[in-house]
Amino acid sequence: MIRRSPRSAAAWQRCLSSPRVMAGAAIILILIIVAIAAPWLSPHDPQDQDLLSVLLPPFWMADADPRYPLGTDTLGRCILSRLVYGTRIALYVAGLAASGAMIIGTVLAILAGYFGGKIDWLISRAVDIWMAFPPVVLALILLVGLGAGVNKVILAIVLIDWTRFCRVIRSEVLVTMTLDYIPAARLLGFSHQQIMLKEILPAVTPLIITMLSIEMGIAVIVEAIMSFVGMSVESNVPAWGVMIADARTTMHQAPWSVVFPIGAIFMTVLAFNLLGDGLRRALDGRLVQRNG
Amino acid sequence: MVLQARNLTVSMQVNGEQIDVLRDVSFDLQPGKVLGLVGESGAGKSMIGRVISRNLPKQFAVTNGSLVFEGRDIIHGADTLLASLLGKRIAFVPQEPLTALNPLMTIAQQFGEHLDRNGVAHAHQLEWMINALQEVRLLDPKRVLSSYPFQLSGGMCQRVLIAMAFISQPALVVADEPTTALDVSTQATIVQIIRRLQKDHGTALLFITHDLRLAAHVCDHILVLYAGEVVERGPARAISKDPQHPYTRALQAANPSLDGPLTRLPSLPDNMPGISGFSAIKGCRFGPRCPVGDSICCNAVPQLREIAPGHWVRCSPACQHAEPSTAPLIEHAAIRDNGAVILNATGLSKHYESPRNWLGRRDGPGLHAVRPMDFTVRAGEFVGVVGESGSGKSTLARLLMGLEKPSTGQISLDGRDITDTSQQTTQLRLDTLQMVFQDPQSALNPRRSVEDLVTQVMESHLKAVTPEARRQRAQDLLRETGLSPELIHRYPSQLSGGQKQRVNIARALCVTPRLLIADEIVSGLDVSVQAQILNLLLDLKAQRQIALVFISHDLSVVRYLCSSMVVMRHGKVVEQGPTEQIFSNPQHAYTKALFAAAPPADLDCVWPPEQTSL
Amino acid sequence: MAFLALQLLIKRAFLAVPILLCVSALVFLILRLLPADPIAMSLPPGATQADYDMMRIAFGLDRSLPEQYLIWLAKLLHGDFGGSIFFRRPVMELISKALPATLELVSFGFMLGVLIGISGGLGMFITRGRWGEQVLDSSTTIMMAIPEFLWAILLILFLGVLLPVFPFIGRLAPDLTLPASITGFLLVDSALSLRLDLLISVLAHMMLPALALAIGIAPLLMRVLRSSLLETIHEDYVTQARLRGISENRIVIRHAFPNAALPTLSLIGVQGGFMFGGTVLVEMIFAYPGLGNLMIDAVRNHDLPVIQAVALIYCVLVLGINAVVDVIYLAVNPRLRLKGRPA
Repeated sequence: MIRRSPRSAAAWQRCLSSPRVMAGAAIILILIIVAIAAPWLSPHDPQDQDLLSVLLPPFWMADADPRYPLGTDTLGRCILSRLVYGTRIALYVAGLAASGAMIIGTVLAILAGYFGGKIDWLISRAVDIWMAFPPVVLALILLVGLGAGVNKVILAIVLIDWTRFCRVIRSEVLVTMTLDYIPAARLLGFSHQQIMLKEILPAVTPLIITMLSIEMGIAVIVEAIMSFVGMSVESNVPAWGVMIADARTTMHQAPWSVVFPIGAIFMTVLAFNLLGDGLRRALDGRLVQRNG
Repeated sequence: MVLQARNLTVSMQVNGEQIDVLRDVSFDLQPGKVLGLVGESGAGKSMIGRVISRNLPKQFAVTNGSLVFEGRDIIHGADTLLASLLGKRIAFVPQEPLTALNPLMTIAQQFGEHLDRNGVAHAHQLEWMINALQEVRLLDPKRVLSSYPFQLSGGMCQRVLIAMAFISQPALVVADEPTTALDVSTQATIVQIIRRLQKDHGTALLFITHDLRLAAHVCDHILVLYAGEVVERGPARAISKDPQHPYTRALQAANPSLDGPLTRLPSLPDNMPGISGFSAIKGCRFGPRCPVGDSICCNAVPQLREIAPGHWVRCSPACQHAEPSTAPLIEHAAIRDNGAVILNATGLSKHYESPRNWLGRRDGPGLHAVRPMDFTVRAGEFVGVVGESGSGKSTLARLLMGLEKPSTGQISLDGRDITDTSQQTTQLRLDTLQMVFQDPQSALNPRRSVEDLVTQVMESHLKAVTPEARRQRAQDLLRETGLSPELIHRYPSQLSGGQKQRVNIARALCVTPRLLIADEIVSGLDVSVQAQILNLLLDLKAQRQIALVFISHDLSVVRYLCSSMVVMRHGKVVEQGPTEQIFSNPQHAYTKALFAAAPPADLDCVWPPEQTSL
Repeated sequence: MAFLALQLLIKRAFLAVPILLCVSALVFLILRLLPADPIAMSLPPGATQADYDMMRIAFGLDRSLPEQYLIWLAKLLHGDFGGSIFFRRPVMELISKALPATLELVSFGFMLGVLIGISGGLGMFITRGRWGEQVLDSSTTIMMAIPEFLWAILLILFLGVLLPVFPFIGRLAPDLTLPASITGFLLVDSALSLRLDLLISVLAHMMLPALALAIGIAPLLMRVLRSSLLETIHEDYVTQARLRGISENRIVIRHAFPNAALPTLSLIGVQGGFMFGGTVLVEMIFAYPGLGNLMIDAVRNHDLPVIQAVALIYCVLVLGINAVVDVIYLAVNPRLRLKGRPA
């Protein structure tokens, strides 16, 4: 039998009863299903061009073609199919990039916050240097250096956004370090490694989970930006950013075609933000206390 | 009549159920008189101040009774009525002076805002402020006025707030624990200033405190509250000299005395129920803890009875108060010279360098937290370390435990040098020394169960044990510290303050140390729970022959436990010796001032003394 | 006060030097990982090997990496960013044209964002517990889920294409002639030369990109201001002011807001830095001739000298805005100016 502390049981309960968490989780679940089931859900191959039916409008408009529920783009490709396949790229980048940034950021944050002194100085200065760049600028420079490609985008996000985790988690570690149970653990013979893993890590875990969710949303945006400027996937691969870049050129003739990929990004980022925000409210003890 | 309460009842709505958090409270407060509201935390004493200011927390509401201020109903009156009274006819002195002033405004700006409201013309404001600050004995009023709150000490902020409270010549001042957040030595001065202003202006004062002895000196009348109920009400002298309710008696007896023979403190079991526990109690709310309670008062709420003119007690008429039993005397055997020395520190000091600025220079001289001192603890000896905040007493504890590196000096344990913190000395310390931290809230990881907490040391890389052995050990430790072994699956958030502190102590006992270092471990507790913990420490001394370094700001507690003591101030030892000797004949001016700052048990002694200065 | 502010700025400048050195070295290093050859890309078809070698030598690409860096740094100290490989012009000239455009746009967007953020945060606080808060809260959620560059596209779609209210290409209507450049800031120049038509056109062109940038920073400001107001309203000093009978309006204005504004202010510094990042895409989408557009062009053409220079300028701008916010912080927070209570 697993005994759960009343604290985590209550936090779990709050998560389940939070509309934000549930809504966010539900959308993300749907997105995951869409990504997995893409071949069955999409009516066409996302690359198939039908040059006889370019810029078809979506189904509710007058001269829509039922074969293309959301219409077609300039090359006559099915927008719905491209949208569905775009989910794969978005979630792939979100999952890998956010986890990578989280791992590097958290490890460095705990080392810096726990040991302080020179280690902290070094890590904090590195964060300072990183923070002097607007993230987009650093991402562009990295992709110039590394070359374009979706895996390069993931690497770039990890190399840039570890600081986001590091900064926030380090200050949370410092807050935890002021509590007496840390010196108490030292006096009870705990090694540094034990203290970091058994006392500090659990204390910052709620924050890490929250930030991970938010970071996934950010990763989706960064990937979209990079495919928009042509630094991510090959230009024929269906990614939402590529779709937006294509549709932008025909905004006057076919304004709807730009709305769908923007809507897809909006829903995805919204879901990660809702989940993160809901988790923060449910897991943050201080916030819970204040709300009664 | 300034303030009159009749059958005042405040209730809280929880899941559709109505719980009375303040039940049936009545009192009269005449002009120029002081009424004390006395009770432990959670008794509901602050609720009355909140009723007056209509500042009740959400879900709380006055459900019955009346509160009349100068003939006007302030519960049902219009909001504008209250708005016209606050800051003019009714004033408040807060508990935490440092946070009660806006950090971004100077004292003059905040005082000026208050004077604006009271219609003092701008041209006269400076004069008014200077006069008012001189009345509260702030020596340099101009400097204080141009300061921001963070530039002043807690005592100075409190004086400013007192001056602001009295400047509108209010009919009523409500002071909620005005000295609790301050150092002991400031207490007497603050109380004295409030008393003088109150007398000079003929103001009625509602004095809210947890300290019965302090209330007895300050107040004309006292109202003792327990779990939202008035248990005793009457003249301060009568209640203090001859308390009638078993709770009042227990409250008074739980405070160790500063003179006379030392007897073991009688302590009540458990602790006061929380609000959620109120509804389960059918009769007298004190019933479950009452040493003399019977079936009658446990099933029906007793009425307040007038047993002498103006002296009311809520206790069943059939209650036969047992004669105060003769508690066993406590002997602090003179161990000073024959016990073996466990811990010895010579020339121990700690100096914190001020941080380097961006040019790599140090801005100031740094802080001498502890100046070179010698310190010895013998086997089975209880040593008290007394000092106020900033005296260096907590740094001393951290030095002895190896949590800080000393700047100079040596520490030895059983004659072996442990000044450096290598693997070896850490092991040595771990086997002999343990520390109990001040605040269990911070010292107990909220994510660990009680079992994991008390046996945490068995998890360390230095020890290895089976889960069964661990559970067994946890249960033994809980029993030894007076806790039910069933608590092993609980988490700190499910324990009361006293239980948490026992877990905190049990954890330190797990390694069977020969010396415990305890840093202010009873300062956050209510007196009745404090007595339990103090007795637990005495029992441990008897059973385990354990030695203790007991750090505290409270002289009476140190006298109760310790055979020798050290008095520290600004990092320096000012006096050191056997406890009884220092108590009967203090040498240093600071020690004498500390004694003068504590209200004596003897009511005929005038306290606060007319002039106290430090 | 002025002395302290000056001291702080000097200290910031002093600390910025090592950061900028590291930043430039880092950029230099990353860009030399480049798999493609920028010289080969920029040469016209039919160029000979000799042309290629000459170009390499001209741009100093034949030397070792540390040498290249030191040469670049030495030139930088003389205000020389080198020459653009793609545009065939001095980088300094490109930047001096683009920088005022970006600064103008960012200032406008920043003011707009802070205005929306503060009024929205106050609005959320004042309507707390009522439907007004719900509406504003939902709007922050929506604003946060769409990045600036997508806002830029949506704004063009709705306020440019479907409902043509604002222009969305460039800095100025094509039929208007530019006055002789006085400062390079078109708003200032048109005002100085008393050209109202020009001023209106410039403002109209800035409206949509500035709005897109403002939406990028406003929702977080709204949320942080709201939550710190909710926090300060429970502070002891607010309760104590209430107990002195101070009116609720005065409490919010004099006591709660100044204290709640402190965390918001430090956030504004961070957000201001992010806003410069936002300009990269927004400027490109609006064909706005600023640093961001220059950056994108340089990135697409692997124009290393331009990328290096623009990246460095961005970092200077971010550090600059942080320093300015620090000075404001110093001015409003007495705790940083004065010594604490005596020990």
